[in-house]
Amino acid sequence: MTTTVDATRRPGRLRLQGVSQRQPPASQRWRLLPTLVLVAGALYCLLPVIWVPMAATKTGAELFTTFTLAPGHGLIGNLRELSAYRGGQFWRWMLNSAVYTGFGAALSAMLSAVTGYALAKYRFRGRKLVFNLLIAGVLVPQITLAVPQYLLLAKVGLAGSYWSVLLPSIFSPYGIYLARIYATAAIPDEMLEAARLDTASELRVFRSVAIPLMLPGMVTVFLVQFVAIWNNFLLPFIMLSDDDRFPITVGLYTLLSQGASQPALYTLVITGALLSTVPLVALFLSLQRYWRLDLITGGLKG
Amino acid sequence: MTRLRTRAVPYMMVLPAIVMFTLFLLLPIAYTVYLSVRRLRVSGLGFGGGARREVGVGFANYSASLSDPELWHGALRVLLYGSIVLPVMLGLALVFALLLDSSVIRLRRFSRIAIFLPYAVPGVIATLLWGFMYLPSVSPILNVMQRLHLPQPDFLTPVAIFPSLANIAVWGGVGFNMLVLYTALRAVPRELYDAARVDGCSELQLALRVKIPLLLPAIILVSVFSIIATLQVFSEPTTLRPLTNTILSTWSPLMKVYRDALIQNDIYSAAATSVIIAAAALLLSFGFLRVVQRRAFGEMS
Amino acid sequence: MRAKFLSRAVSVILGAVLLAAAGCSSGSSGGGTSDTQAQPTPQRPVKLTFWTWVPNIGPVVKQWNSQHPEIQVTVSEQASGDELVTKVLTANKAGNPPDLFQAEYQALPTFVTNDVVADLAGPAGGAKGQFTEGTWRLVTLGTPSVYAVPQDIGPMMLYYRSDLFSKLGLTVPKTWDEFAQLARTVRAKDPKRYLTTFSSGDPGWFAGLSQQAGAQWWQVEGDSWKVNVDDQATQKVADYWDGLVSAGVIDHRPMYTPQWNKAMNDGTLLAWPSAVWGPAVLGGIAPATKGKWAIAPLPQWSASEQKTGYWGGSSTAVAAKSANKDAATKFAVWLNTDPQAVQALIKVAGVYPAATNAQSGPALQQAPAFFPGQTDFYRQAAVIANTAVGFTFGPNVNVTYQAYRDAFGKAIQQKTSFSGAAKTMLDTTLNDMRKSGFSVSG
Repeated sequence: MTTTVDATRRPGRLRLQGVSQRQPPASQRWRLLPTLVLVAGALYCLLPVIWVPMAATKTGAELFTTFTLAPGHGLIGNLRELSAYRGGQFWRWMLNSAVYTGFGAALSAMLSAVTGYALAKYRFRGRKLVFNLLIAGVLVPQITLAVPQYLLLAKVGLAGSYWSVLLPSIFSPYGIYLARIYATAAIPDEMLEAARLDTASELRVFRSVAIPLMLPGMVTVFLVQFVAIWNNFLLPFIMLSDDDRFPITVGLYTLLSQGASQPALYTLVITGALLSTVPLVALFLSLQRYWRLDLITGGLKG
Repeated sequence: MTRLRTRAVPYMMVLPAIVMFTLFLLLPIAYTVYLSVRRLRVSGLGFGGGARREVGVGFANYSASLSDPELWHGALRVLLYGSIVLPVMLGLALVFALLLDSSVIRLRRFSRIAIFLPYAVPGVIATLLWGFMYLPSVSPILNVMQRLHLPQPDFLTPVAIFPSLANIAVWGGVGFNMLVLYTALRAVPRELYDAARVDGCSELQLALRVKIPLLLPAIILVSVFSIIATLQVFSEPTTLRPLTNTILSTWSPLMKVYRDALIQNDIYSAAATSVIIAAAALLLSFGFLRVVQRRAFGEMS
Repeated sequence: MRAKFLSRAVSVILGAVLLAAAGCSSGSSGGGTSDTQAQPTPQRPVKLTFWTWVPNIGPVVKQWNSQHPEIQVTVSEQASGDELVTKVLTANKAGNPPDLFQAEYQALPTFVTNDVVADLAGPAGGAKGQFTEGTWRLVTLGTPSVYAVPQDIGPMMLYYRSDLFSKLGLTVPKTWDEFAQLARTVRAKDPKRYLTTFSSGDPGWFAGLSQQAGAQWWQVEGDSWKVNVDDQATQKVADYWDGLVSAGVIDHRPMYTPQWNKAMNDGTLLAWPSAVWGPAVLGGIAPATKGKWAIAPLPQWSASEQKTGYWGGSSTAVAAKSANKDAATKFAVWLNTDPQAVQALIKVAGVYPAATNAQSGPALQQAPAFFPGQTDFYRQAAVIANTAVGFTFGPNVNVTYQAYRDAFGKAIQQKTSFSGAAKTMLDTTLNDMRKSGFSVSG
């Protein structure tokens, strides 16, 4: 059977040619194979992850003496100790993380959406240059940028403030590229043309046509940026010195790295790390439904 | 009037991104390049004010970096490491994304979140986590193998360290890349598949002949960014370093940058090495893109 | 609606950035610079910022704040380590370092050569009598200036599992020869155990052992540095451990890993050359072994000597760019010499004080929690602390320490000589110093 796919600019036109065959009757075993492969992958990913909750349930005495993946008896104790550490500092850190990440990811998703849409759907001069320039940002790792960014922000007096962590997190080359690809694939030009007949405002076209179609992609960008900012360590570590402003990553690091003469508070750090994944998992679960959106072509959406 | 407005719209739309890019990437990069041709010169003991001056030194930092054998060893190590990580991680991400998108799958939700979870684990406990996974006396894997009377490999020898590191990268990165590919798949209108199914396409054929070609731009995206990320590998070797004697502080070029910038307080050498790494990454990704130019960007540029 | 929200959001952000840039900064921890409101109040309290990683130091600082309403200190808990040194240096470069910060002794010369710390010789010189000569040298670097006030020290001693020693019939070694012999005996009696491990990950540990042997890695000679990282004493130490590791009688895996923690728990490792702060660490990683450990002085190189080295320890330094150096110095001296303050530090923060009076003070009369049986723990510790000799640290200790990790890690991995690794440390240190322009001799 030969099949050619002509994926042109208009995804609505897909041609299949060639001799068609009837699908051979698949045996029961073969039908389960894809699921088995996927589940095997899932288990491979899960195994090290399971360690985190298991270790969080152990007391200090159990952590290095019992079997690694067995649960312990110290979860409540660990939670209490973590909560009480320096008068609830951990919850302060969690709030900070929420602030940096919530705003940062939302703004980043918005920025990526607008930029990706513009790069995908408009032919303007300098488009290629702008795109290549923005993406080239990925070539410079955060480690290189950290100290210069700090010095530059210090010059405008922002170093150490919430802005110093928020602002650099907004620009995401990955998000822009993803948005562009998604906009190209998900927004048929016909719909834009149809919308332009109805209204002269490009922004309205963007708002009413593009955004609903791009939504699943934007949800992914939001989620990806959310996790990236939530788990970011180096940027807030360099920028912040007031421990009341630390996110969870930096806060837990201070628990691990209390100097040679203090024990690392392993159980607290692991428990803190476990708690830190809870919002991420919750977010992931709640955003899942956006991936089941079906795209309906034709007509304008209000 | 309207046409002018319309013409200006795309520029206005990309303006915020350009502003952020300039402020937080371009300026620091410019500053880094500036730093890369300077050095701190001390005189005498270095005590007392005025003993330190920042001076321009031309390309001295660059030649020092390039003539450091550790940089080249690091580059080779990274290439070897990348040759394991990239095909495995990208291959798995593609397979998982296609599987998730196909119609014959059960346990979709469970698998999706399970594969995503590694990405959610914060890096601060990575050394602890992998210490528990890899070190012989505490590793559950080796424990099980011992009970089954299987030979127990040492995960941290100079040779085994490559797949051990690659494992961490694959484990941590497959979820993210899978998510990107899966999202791109969701962008494809379902009607396309209906037409193919009507013609008698099986799921596998659908995946191979329809989805993958449609997915090519996303695959290129993911590949290019993964190549760049692999060239900048830092966190995996840093994670394993405290656990073993096998990993030097300059195991990867970016580790050397980190060590210079943040441990040895020599931001100047770090800047020069960063520029070198960025240039190498640019060349490699440029080369890669050239190779796949027609395939992917035919529809986009 | 979303687009409007979007454009509004963008303009809000840009506006905020501009506003913030125009000077309404929420600011980082600057020194006690006055607020923008110039109110004509006569006595406004001086505000100091203090970066430290000592846990639970809050109550101690609160004590000062209540006794000194005119000088208010705010603590910012940080993580310790090399990155913190970089943070302080970077903050200093940006012009707003903290007024006070905790500086490990080996980091102090780096701060001095970067003009980060103020010379406290005038206001703090009087505190000299409170510390041993070895300790005081760590903050003067052998010059007439005083660059910080010593806070805590880490004189090295030997920790061993007294229960397992009795069970296996082992005696506590008094010399390094006896130690080597003991290591072999342990392996002979139980091939699963080791006496201890040699760690390529802890340069401070190796530095302390070298100090005990009489090493002088850096010295100030007139106007230049004399660098001798692989001097005779260091080579003696390196060769000694090399012999033991290659014979397989000492373990060679790094400390502070989950595997090491487990080994300390289950008796795979029987002893630990460590410092006076050991009980806190042991309590953290091996709480189930409480009461099973004991201390003894480090084995000596000759039976007639009693010497030891330092592993770690830190001081309180004042930033040169601070606007309130005098106030900050007052606090630094108080924190580390005032009997009440030091007792509080010991109690809540578990610090072992550098101030000699405090070493025999009330807070150290009982045994630490982890050593319930050993009531004379701190008396022994004070005696050992008195025999401690350090050496001057140089301006690029981080380079040397990284070189230690790499060179010794390689030597263990490839089974090459440890004294060769020490030579590599020397070469790396010298190259770096010469590259930066330091005058180096020897």
